[in-house]
Amino acid sequence: MKTPPLLPPNDARRGNLACVGMGMTLGSHLTPLARSHIEQADVVFAALSDGIVQMWLQRMHADVRSLQPYYQVGKSRMQTYRQWVDLMMTEVRAGKRVCGVFYGHPGIFAWSPHKAIEVARAEGFEAHMEPGISAEDCLYADLGIDPGRFGCQHFEASQLLFYQRRIDPTGYLVLWQVGLVGDRSLTRFETGPAYRQVLVDLLSHDYPLDHEVIIYRGATLPIEKPRIRRVALRDLPDIPLTTEETVVLPPAEALKPNLAIQERLKALDKLDKADAFA
Amino acid sequence: MSDTIDLLEAIGRDASLRHASTEELTNMLEQAQASKALTSAAAHGDSSLLFAELGHIPMQAPQITQSPCHEEEEPAPDADDEPDNLPAPDPGKSSI
Repeated sequence: MKTPPLLPPNDARRGNLACVGMGMTLGSHLTPLARSHIEQADVVFAALSDGIVQMWLQRMHADVRSLQPYYQVGKSRMQTYRQWVDLMMTEVRAGKRVCGVFYGHPGIFAWSPHKAIEVARAEGFEAHMEPGISAEDCLYADLGIDPGRFGCQHFEASQLLFYQRRIDPTGYLVLWQVGLVGDRSLTRFETGPAYRQVLVDLLSHDYPLDHEVIIYRGATLPIEKPRIRRVALRDLPDIPLTTEETVVLPPAEALKPNLAIQERLKALDKLDKADAFA
Repeated sequence: MSDTIDLLEAIGRDASLRHASTEELTNMLEQAQASKALTSAAAHGDSSLLFAELGHIPMQAPQITQSPCHEEEEPAPDADDEPDNLPAPDPGKSSI
């Protein structure tokens, strides 16, 4: 039996919104469904991290509007992110099929896609998110880390400084946006060694200063290799670091058995066994 | 000369090319009549060498703040807070 071609629903001159992920590496990660959203949209907004990936996106749609020009040094990034939401929603309200394209996964370390979808739904528009291959996904593959093995905590690096969080040095610790750690203004795109020293001082409560940390950046172009550097924790403040780089701290201590809970589980096992024989 | 973006996409989607050795990839690009910039960038694993051909668009990566709930406290953007040199949307042309 020959399957007839599926025709898309013809219901919509009503606006809608799809936020999709571009993945990290040009040509390798864009899903067929995300590509379809891009191609079928009336207008595409782009927040990507690589200018050449933007050029690739332009090949897929005639009306790609970069969100990059809304960033400005000295301007709160929060205002920028709100403008992104307004830009997308203006077109949705005008009855357009809007696609927001974000590097990696559109819902990971990205405020605007979640907010835009929330606003669109609250106003009665159809809106959803398509996942993409994130920097985190690439990190696991390139560094050979399985987050299920010892557990894995992720923090935006500044959040670790601003709030009291509990670090578990028996699992992996992954810190994002270390290049601008400690920026309370949201107006800068990098901070200096003194700010990173504060982070190192905090981490030194749980890790020895000679603990090896990994600095990672995934490939955005397929001719690149991932950049992986290993330095001692104490040297983190003084090395060059960009906002795209992620810092990974491998476990510093062995997992500690929880003997009390294990005893409790053992008792339950005995009860289960006894019930089975009853 | 072959189109550089098309070649990058072809490399990115082909398992044998994406993980080819530098020498294999460079040879393939030479055979495909890739631009000098792309061949050189692949040979050195340095994508900045592509800027000479494609130009350089500085990009910012952060898309989140670090303070949950802080987002709702910030003042709304001023009307005159438009970015400098913002290209006017043109339905027939990308604004990147």
